[in-house]
Amino acid sequence: MKKVIEGSHAVSYAVMLSRVQVICAYPITPQTHIVEKLSDLCSTGEMQAKFLKVESEHSAMAGCIGASAVGVRAFTASSSQGLALMHELLHWAAGARLPIVMANVNRSLGAPWNIWCDQTDSLSQRDTGWLQFYCESSQEALDTVIQAYKISEKVSLPSMVVLDAFYLSHTFEPVNIPDKGRVDRFLPPYEPKYRLDPKVPRSFSGLTPPDLFTEMRYQIQEAMEEAKKVILHVDEEFDALFGRRYGLVEGYRLEDAELVLVTSGTAASTARDVIDQYRDDGKPVGLLKVRTFRPFPSEEIRKALKNVSKVAVIDRNISFGMGGIFAEELKSVYGNEEEGPIIFGYIAGLGGRDITRETISGIIEYTFEEDRPKKPSLWPDLRR
Amino acid sequence: MKQKINLKHLHDIPPISISLGTMLWNETGSWRYLRPKYVVKTPPCNEACPAGNDVEGFMVLARQGKFREAWELIKEESPFPGVCGRVCFHPCESSCNRKEYDEALAIHSVERFLADSQGQTRRVRHAHRIRRKEQIAVIGAGPAGLTCAYHLGRMGYGVTVFEAHSAPGGVLRFGIPEYRLPRSIVDHEIQDIQSWGVEIKTNTRIGKDMPFESLSTFQAVFIATGAHESRPLNIDGENLEGVYSGLDLLKRIKGGEKIPLGKKVSVIGGGNVAIDVARSALRLGAESVEILYRRSREEMPAFSQEVEEALREGVKIHFLVSPKKILGDGGKVTGVECIRMKLGEPDESGRKRAVPVEGSSFSMHTDTMITAIGEASDLGFLPQEIPSREGLIQTDEMGFVHVRGYFAGGDAATLDRTVAVAIGSGKKSALAIHEYLQGSWSTKRFESIRVGSKGTISAKKYLHPPKGEANPPVMTFKEINTDYFEHHGRVSDPSLSLEERRGTFHEIHLGLTPEMVEEETQRCFNCGVCNQCDNCWTFCPDMAVKKKKDHYEIDYDYCKGCGICFVECPRGAILLEEEMR
Repeated sequence: MKKVIEGSHAVSYAVMLSRVQVICAYPITPQTHIVEKLSDLCSTGEMQAKFLKVESEHSAMAGCIGASAVGVRAFTASSSQGLALMHELLHWAAGARLPIVMANVNRSLGAPWNIWCDQTDSLSQRDTGWLQFYCESSQEALDTVIQAYKISEKVSLPSMVVLDAFYLSHTFEPVNIPDKGRVDRFLPPYEPKYRLDPKVPRSFSGLTPPDLFTEMRYQIQEAMEEAKKVILHVDEEFDALFGRRYGLVEGYRLEDAELVLVTSGTAASTARDVIDQYRDDGKPVGLLKVRTFRPFPSEEIRKALKNVSKVAVIDRNISFGMGGIFAEELKSVYGNEEEGPIIFGYIAGLGGRDITRETISGIIEYTFEEDRPKKPSLWPDLRR
Repeated sequence: MKQKINLKHLHDIPPISISLGTMLWNETGSWRYLRPKYVVKTPPCNEACPAGNDVEGFMVLARQGKFREAWELIKEESPFPGVCGRVCFHPCESSCNRKEYDEALAIHSVERFLADSQGQTRRVRHAHRIRRKEQIAVIGAGPAGLTCAYHLGRMGYGVTVFEAHSAPGGVLRFGIPEYRLPRSIVDHEIQDIQSWGVEIKTNTRIGKDMPFESLSTFQAVFIATGAHESRPLNIDGENLEGVYSGLDLLKRIKGGEKIPLGKKVSVIGGGNVAIDVARSALRLGAESVEILYRRSREEMPAFSQEVEEALREGVKIHFLVSPKKILGDGGKVTGVECIRMKLGEPDESGRKRAVPVEGSSFSMHTDTMITAIGEASDLGFLPQEIPSREGLIQTDEMGFVHVRGYFAGGDAATLDRTVAVAIGSGKKSALAIHEYLQGSWSTKRFESIRVGSKGTISAKKYLHPPKGEANPPVMTFKEINTDYFEHHGRVSDPSLSLEERRGTFHEIHLGLTPEMVEEETQRCFNCGVCNQCDNCWTFCPDMAVKKKKDHYEIDYDYCKGCGICFVECPRGAILLEEEMR
């Protein structure tokens, strides 16, 4: 059924369709609409779940951890400072191998206060052991949440589905809301191997000595590697049932491209438009949208950018003292290679500044003109 | 599963950090260098009670709503909870550790509640497990004599109490005014004593109605004739009309006599009789009642609370004043000539001596003069071989007079003249008589039934020796973990207003409600006695505390000796000792 809905609500419907049993959340702009809708769905009985109101995001994640540990499907959503407050427990959820799914609506972190879009909040959680998916559209957000439960439950790691604040969370688009029965066929009930159960008393995540800890960390790394295959496999299954697939990365007009824009989230939509215009003018420009940030799809990126001489990465985030995070990760892909593209790292769209067609054209022009970047990070929309 | 699991290979390790077995293989008890141990300490209230009540014990039961069991527990030691709950000077409260925190527990009020709610329901004749052949005589049916008879009766002896007055009770019946101790309370508790087979012969004064020698048919005799003789002032005018002895007057008032006391009444003395008679005089309609006391408030032997109540009711007290001569006109008292006193060096009782101030004489008018400067025992009926000195029968601590078969207690044997001390002395002699008759007395046995070091003994300990240390140390306030107690003031005993007291002898204090008892008993620290609060069990990080039906046990295979149980025990019932290996 196609409906024109808000991006936030696309997530809410996905949570309902995934038959999540515990929602434990704390409101924060711009994520609030997701949990408001879920609260409505729970109160009307459309959704059979416990909605736990808590006093902080830290508690929200703690609640999800508890719920997931007893073997039920758990969901939360947050943004920015709220996500930062969860940080400790994000590590815990992954270390405890709990397949929690959360939505994070990208919002910049204060100070100074800013409620608008940038990706630094979720990218700061890069090393927590969570899978991260960056969505371009409401449809992708809905589909990714459903997929994420299946992926997470297969690899025993939590997933973060990431949406751009306002550009995606608060805009309305036609969204195909899948049929319940079909989602059930795609996503069977969660059956964990181990769960907190008074009838089978075990201690969970207890003190683990040095002679075992390394192995447990290695298992998570292995699970992340495995996740790349699982994501693709699940994507295929999803496609077979619903006719949509997303991949780890998505190339757009990459054929014979000499210059490729790399970006993520809603900036990719604007970029497609600009690419079309350049192609119309006969310029060999393409786009690579990175959907999966963790695990990082190095192989897929290398394959997609084969024979490309210049890459322009648009990062809506900043790792102070280094540069755009996607750009840095991309550079590391070629760290051990003899050859590879020249990588230009652009910082744009921070704190809700629009990444316009002009911004993107400017980036393409600069990249064409220069042999190599003059600085590790280039700031094309900076006020001069 | 006590075996340690060995995870050799990567694939042996579960994907999630979970326990696959138990940690029982790791007997952490071997790490211990401090060893916790459950102990029972002596609560200070129990030590302080001259009657030997297990105050802490009845507080626990009362808190659980087990009023019957609480009352039965008191009755193990004392037959007079209804009396003591009203008239005792409650040294238990003065030594209550809670007073260091907020206010002492209202122990007497709880005791009174238990007696009032339970004491009137039992009207059975007790069945004896043992019926002993020995017969014991008790002279004097006051608190000491009746308590002795009660305990002997409970142990199966035949007891006959000889009482000179027309009714039993002694000072309880004749000496303490109705507004403090109604007769009905005394009647009920004496009836309960009689239900143990104790026979009371009233109107039988030994030495007058029956010769002392006739008691030789009894195997043991307990002498508890009290102190009923008012000491004379030994000044001029003592025989004038309108001069009364305090004790005599109280007895007549209790008997229902309406005595015309005049408008202005003066009382000489500073003890409980002086206070009782002054407050009684107010109730009989005296317009003004003044007490003359030769020392200061601090030296007054009367119970402080009673003095306060007397002052509230309007009694005036002139301190540092001593009568020199009672003035009269036509054979009737008209006034008193006094001299002012000052305090000098302490006398042998430790109180400061009162010394006359030269040239400070003055006179005051009065219609009635009541003397209450102390009471003496009349021991004239005793044969020569019963030793006495300065009006007191000489005994050892257990009341034995060192003449075969004779024991003595109560006011006739001590100057420590309170109901509770009399009850304690009656109990001690009952146990001593039993030991004497069984020929088994030993000092060791006596030491084992002591409660603390203030002379208190326990009949329950005697009959059912406890397992642990015989007389453990007294619990101090410092050992209480006050984190577990909220500050909460003491319950206030409802009482008649000053207006309601006027002109009547109605009991002043009205007693607690069950809700008040619940509130008050919850304040008890249960000093040094485990009340199964579960703190040790909850806090033990090694789950080495095992809960049993009515106690806990420590599994020393796993107790690391961390001491958390010791610290978290609110009431010092756990001790931490060095581990000796």
